[in-house]
Amino acid sequence: MIVLAVIVALTFLLTFAGGSHVGAGWFWDTGNALGFVALAGLLFQMIPYARGATTRRHEILGYWVLGVGMLHAFWFLLGDGAVWTYLRPGAPLAMWFGLAALVVLAVLTALARMPDRMRVHRRFRTFRTVHRVLGFALVAAAGLHVMLTGYYLGRWVQDVLFVLLVAATCLGRSRWARLGQAPIASGQTFVALGIAATSAFLLLRNLPW
Amino acid sequence: MKWLLAALFLAGAILVITGPPWPVPTAKRAVFSGSGRAILPMTFIHNDHKGVSCTICHHEFVDGTTGLSCINCHLTDPKVSDIFETQFHDLCRTCHMDEQAAGKPGGPTRHCAACHLPDNQF
Repeated sequence: MIVLAVIVALTFLLTFAGGSHVGAGWFWDTGNALGFVALAGLLFQMIPYARGATTRRHEILGYWVLGVGMLHAFWFLLGDGAVWTYLRPGAPLAMWFGLAALVVLAVLTALARMPDRMRVHRRFRTFRTVHRVLGFALVAAAGLHVMLTGYYLGRWVQDVLFVLLVAATCLGRSRWARLGQAPIASGQTFVALGIAATSAFLLLRNLPW
Repeated sequence: MKWLLAALFLAGAILVITGPPWPVPTAKRAVFSGSGRAILPMTFIHNDHKGVSCTICHHEFVDGTTGLSCINCHLTDPKVSDIFETQFHDLCRTCHMDEQAAGKPGGPTRHCAACHLPDNQF
């Protein structure tokens, strides 16, 4: 839980690293906070660790990450008519990366569902390789979506810190092994941390200071 | 859990197809001034920008560029047409962000529909 809390905190702190806490209104900031919650959950899920008995926790948290990711995507359609254009040809590259990330996340999650995954991948090693490759593709797409939109990570220092955070969470299996046990978090913990981070994000950006 | 996800996906798909159940101002891409390229409409109110030097946006006042309207040139000139969206987003958003960060009333910073609506007050 502590590892997840740290990743959520760092992800949201990154948005303030440019020195600006300018908000874009409750509606818009809520939608994007959902995106950062999903991103933090994704980075937590990417931690390289032989999960063993905690695999089920990893699987369930994956559903929550997918759910929050979908909420982030659909949220804007509820109140911003211009976002519709992002679902059509001619959308900016950043939005294609966002849509791609959501599709890959859905595929990755569906293909990993037990016991169905046994029918798709007979050998565990094949599954692990495919799951890991899709995970990296997902992080790349989601990361490019965040950086290229430039809404909250618009300065080079933020981009550098973001890449470092991604590298720290997605790489370094031997370093993570020093934890002694796989970092785990329940769906409820993820939701609670997400609500706390979203609330702080909204208040800091939208209350007059 | 899977049913919850399926319901969420279904609700999202319905939202994509039918739109939200309440009225939301929509903006559709349209060809502007015969440029041949469909872009989103934009709202720009000159009176709201009285404190900004004209040449921040109107570079033609300084470099003597002549032609049709700003957007027409930016859409048709091959030197800048590929970066049209980035250029205008950067110009507007950077200024709005800086103004708000300085505690002054700045314009919209991220919300798409705050700018991308048909212009009635140019």
